Amino acid sequence: MAITETGAPARKSNIDRKDLIQKFAALAGLLILVVVFSMTSNAFMSMSNGVTIALQTTSIAYLGLGATFVIITGGIDLSVGSVLALAGVVAGIAAKAGVPVSLAMCAGVLVGGACGWVNGIIITRMKLPPFIATLGMMMVARGLALQVTGARAISGLGEDFGVLGNGSFLRIVEEGANGFPKVVFPGVSYAVIVMAVLAIACAVVLAKTTFGRHLYAIGSNEEAARLSGVDVNRTKIGAYVLSGLLAGLCGCVLMSRLVTAQPNEGVAYELDAIASAVIGGTSLVGGVGTISGTVIGAFIIGILRNGLNMNGVSSFIQMIIIGLVIIGTVWIDQMRNRR
Amino acid sequence: MSMPTTPAATASLPGAVGEEVLRATGITKRFPGVLALDGVHLDLRRGEVHALCGENGAGKSTLVKIVTGLYQTDDGEVVYKGEARHFASIQDAQAVGITMIHQELNLVPHLTVAENIYLGREPKKGWFVDKKKMEADAQVYLDRLKVGIRANELVLTLTVARQQMVEIAKALSLDAEVLIMDEPTSSLTESEIDRLFEIIHELKAHGVGIVYISHRLDELRRIVDRVTVMRDGRYVSTRNLADITVDDIVSAMVGRSLEEKFPERSSAPTDEVIFRVAGLSRTGKFRDVSFDLRRGEILGFAGLMGAGRTEVARAVFGADPKTAGTVTLAGRELSIASPIDAIEAGIAYLSEDRKLNGLAVKMSVKDNITMANMAAVSDRFGFIDPPKERSAAKKFVDLLNIKTPTITQIAKNLSGGNQQKVVIGKWLFRDSRVLFFDEPTRGIDVGAKFAIYQLLDKLAHDGIGVILITSELPEILGMTDRVVVFHEGEVTGILETRKTSQEEIMQYASGVKHMFR
Repeated sequence: MAITETGAPARKSNIDRKDLIQKFAALAGLLILVVVFSMTSNAFMSMSNGVTIALQTTSIAYLGLGATFVIITGGIDLSVGSVLALAGVVAGIAAKAGVPVSLAMCAGVLVGGACGWVNGIIITRMKLPPFIATLGMMMVARGLALQVTGARAISGLGEDFGVLGNGSFLRIVEEGANGFPKVVFPGVSYAVIVMAVLAIACAVVLAKTTFGRHLYAIGSNEEAARLSGVDVNRTKIGAYVLSGLLAGLCGCVLMSRLVTAQPNEGVAYELDAIASAVIGGTSLVGGVGTISGTVIGAFIIGILRNGLNMNGVSSFIQMIIIGLVIIGTVWIDQMRNRR
Repeated sequence: MSMPTTPAATASLPGAVGEEVLRATGITKRFPGVLALDGVHLDLRRGEVHALCGENGAGKSTLVKIVTGLYQTDDGEVVYKGEARHFASIQDAQAVGITMIHQELNLVPHLTVAENIYLGREPKKGWFVDKKKMEADAQVYLDRLKVGIRANELVLTLTVARQQMVEIAKALSLDAEVLIMDEPTSSLTESEIDRLFEIIHELKAHGVGIVYISHRLDELRRIVDRVTVMRDGRYVSTRNLADITVDDIVSAMVGRSLEEKFPERSSAPTDEVIFRVAGLSRTGKFRDVSFDLRRGEILGFAGLMGAGRTEVARAVFGADPKTAGTVTLAGRELSIASPIDAIEAGIAYLSEDRKLNGLAVKMSVKDNITMANMAAVSDRFGFIDPPKERSAAKKFVDLLNIKTPTITQIAKNLSGGNQQKVVIGKWLFRDSRVLFFDEPTRGIDVGAKFAIYQLLDKLAHDGIGVILITSELPEILGMTDRVVVFHEGEVTGILETRKTSQEEIMQYASGVKHMFR
C-alpha cells in the first residue's frame, strides 16, 4: 500500500538563506564600521592601527571562543574575567619565583582550566544553574587573585615575560638614516597568531568532532541527548574546562602585554565575551552558534572601541554605544526568528 | 474587552441558535516558500460543534490562528456576527468573544487557578487586585464544570487534565461566543472526557459556537454536528456528521479510502525469549514488574495514564533509577545505571514526547539519526567522517521513507510522522535489539500511523524485540501478540492479544481483575 504524506514543507532554501543573512548581517556591520571610521579618522586605516586593533581584539576573541562553547550547551560562564586575573597572577608569581616563563604561563593556563573544571562539576554534579555557579566562581577567583598578591601588581617579571603579549612574527626593523630603528613592517603579533590558530581549532572541534556535535545536541535538547547516550555531564564539563583554559591563556597574554601581573585585570571582560558570541549569532538558549560568527562579533566590539577612541569619543559614551549595539543585534536576531 | 461584573454563568447569548456567527472565506496564507492555506472556507453557527479535520500539515492550526488573530490572512475575509473583521491580535479577537483553548496549555504554573483565569484582567479595588472577588468569580465558573477544582489552588499542583479544565473555565469567564478547542481530549481520561462533553453540550445549549479539532475521529459522533475537512492547505468539504461515516471523513482527509487501519502481521512469535525483566521496582512508582519478550513478538503495554508503563520503560533504559529487579537480554543479565549502559547493551527507548525527550529539533535530520551512534561515523580521535555520516543518514531516510527535502533539513520543519521516523532511524542505526516505543503514533496523522505500524511489524519480523506502549486500545489489539496490563504501578495481567478484548483489557487496567493475586 502506498503511503502518502503531507506536511514536510520544502523550506530548506529559506533556512539556508536565513543563515546566510545572519552571517552577512554581522559581516556587513563590520565592514560598515570600517568604512565609517576610515572616513571620520585619518589614522584609522593605517598599518599600525590595524595591528593595534588585532591585538586589542585578541582578549575578547579568546574569551569569546570559550563563551561560544559554553553558550551552545545552553549555559553561561560569568567567571572568565576573574579567572584570567587569577591565571595571570599565578603565571606572574611563578615567573617571579624563577620558573621558566613558558612553564609559568602553562601553569596559569592550567589554573584557568581547573577553575573551569570546578564550574563544570558544580553545574553537573551539584546541579546548580550555570549562572549561579560561575557567578560564585567569578567572586572566588577574583578574591584569590587579590589575596595571593595582597592586591598589589607584580612587576619586574623580566623581558621574557613580555614576549607573548608584545612580540611579533616577521617584524622588520631597519636602521634609519638618523641611526634610530625604523619599523618597516610591524609584523604579526604572537597573540594574533595564537588567536587565529585557536579560532580555526575551535571551529574544527565544533563542526567536525563528536564532542562538538554533542555540545549542539545538549543545547538543542538536553534530555534527548541524554536518552541518546550522550555523556551530558562529561561534555558540559569539557565546555567549561575549555572556557577556563582560554580564560587562563587570555590572562597570560594580557599580563604579558603589561609585563606585570595585575590582580585587577579583566573586570567585566566576561560581558565582552558573551556579547561577541551573541553578536555573532550564538543563541543564549543554546543549540545555535558558530566560531566564525564569534570572531566577527569580537572584531565588531574591538573596532568599535578603537574607532570611537580615534574619534575622541569618551569611554563613557563608548559603553553606551556598545550597549546599544548589543541590544540592537539581538533585537534584529529576534525579529528574524519571529515569523 | 468584555468584563462582566458578576459571572453570568447561566445567561444565554444573544442571537438565535443555528444563526451563523462566524464565516471565513477564501482564507489564504503564505509562509516563506510554502502556501499554507489556499482559499479555505469555514462557517460556524451558534450552538453548533463544528469539527475541523485533516492530517497533520493540512492547515487546521493555521486557519484557527488566523480566526483568533494570531496570524494575519494574506487574502480572504473573516466575517464575525455579520461584520467583516480584522483581528490584529489574540486580544482583539478575545475582546469580541472568540477564544481558543490551545493544545499546549498556556497556564502559569506558579500562580493560582483564579490568578490564571483573570491574568491580565484582574478585578481591581483601587490600585490593588481584589483577590477575594477574583477567587469568588473564578469559583463560579469552576463549579459549573463540576470538577472540584478550588480557585486558590496553585496550577502546578493540578494534573494536565485538570489544567485543561482551568483553560475551559477561563474561556467561560471570557464570555466566549466562539470557542476553538485544539485536541482537547488528548490528555484526558475517559471520565474526564465524559465531563468535557457534558460541558460542551451545555455550551451548545447556551448558543456558543465551537470549532473542535481532534485526531480522535471515533469521539466526534458524541458531540459534533458538522465536519469540515481540509487537505494540504485546501478546503475539501463541509458535511453534516449524521449523513456520513468515519470512513468518509478519513478518505476525504487522505484523499483516498483507507481499507485497513493496521497492516497484516508478517511475523509470529517464537518460543525463544530474548528479553526478560524480573521483579523490577521503583519506590513510589511501580513494584515487582516482570515480563518477557520472545523473538518475533510485539509486546504491548496497556494501562491508564499514570499506571507506570512509561516509568517502567525508563527504568529499564536507565533514564530513571530502579530500586530492585533484573534485566536480561539474550541470556545475559545487564547492569544498567544510565542510558549509556542500556544503549551499549542494545536497548532503545523512544519517548512519548518527541519534542521534549526524543528529538533535537534545532539539529538536522542527519545529526539526529547519527546522534546515538557517533562512534560509527567518526574515528578514534572523535573526528566525524562526513561522507560516512551522510551515507548512514541517507540510508535510513530511504529505508524509512522519511519525507524531507534533504538530510540537512532541520528536524523542526518535518511533520510529526516524519519526525517519529527520524527518531526510529536513530535507534535502527544503533543496531538496537530491543526497542520500547512509547506512544509512537500520538499526534501523527492517519497515513503516517500506518507507515509506523508497518515498521513495527518489520522490526519484529527481523527478530528485533518490540515493546509498544500505547493508550489506544485498538492499537494494542491491531498490532501486538501479547499485552502486559498495568494498574497503579503493578502488572495486573499478561494476556494473549488474540484471545482478549478491549473490555477485558480495561478490566485489568482499572484493577477490577488481577491475574497475580
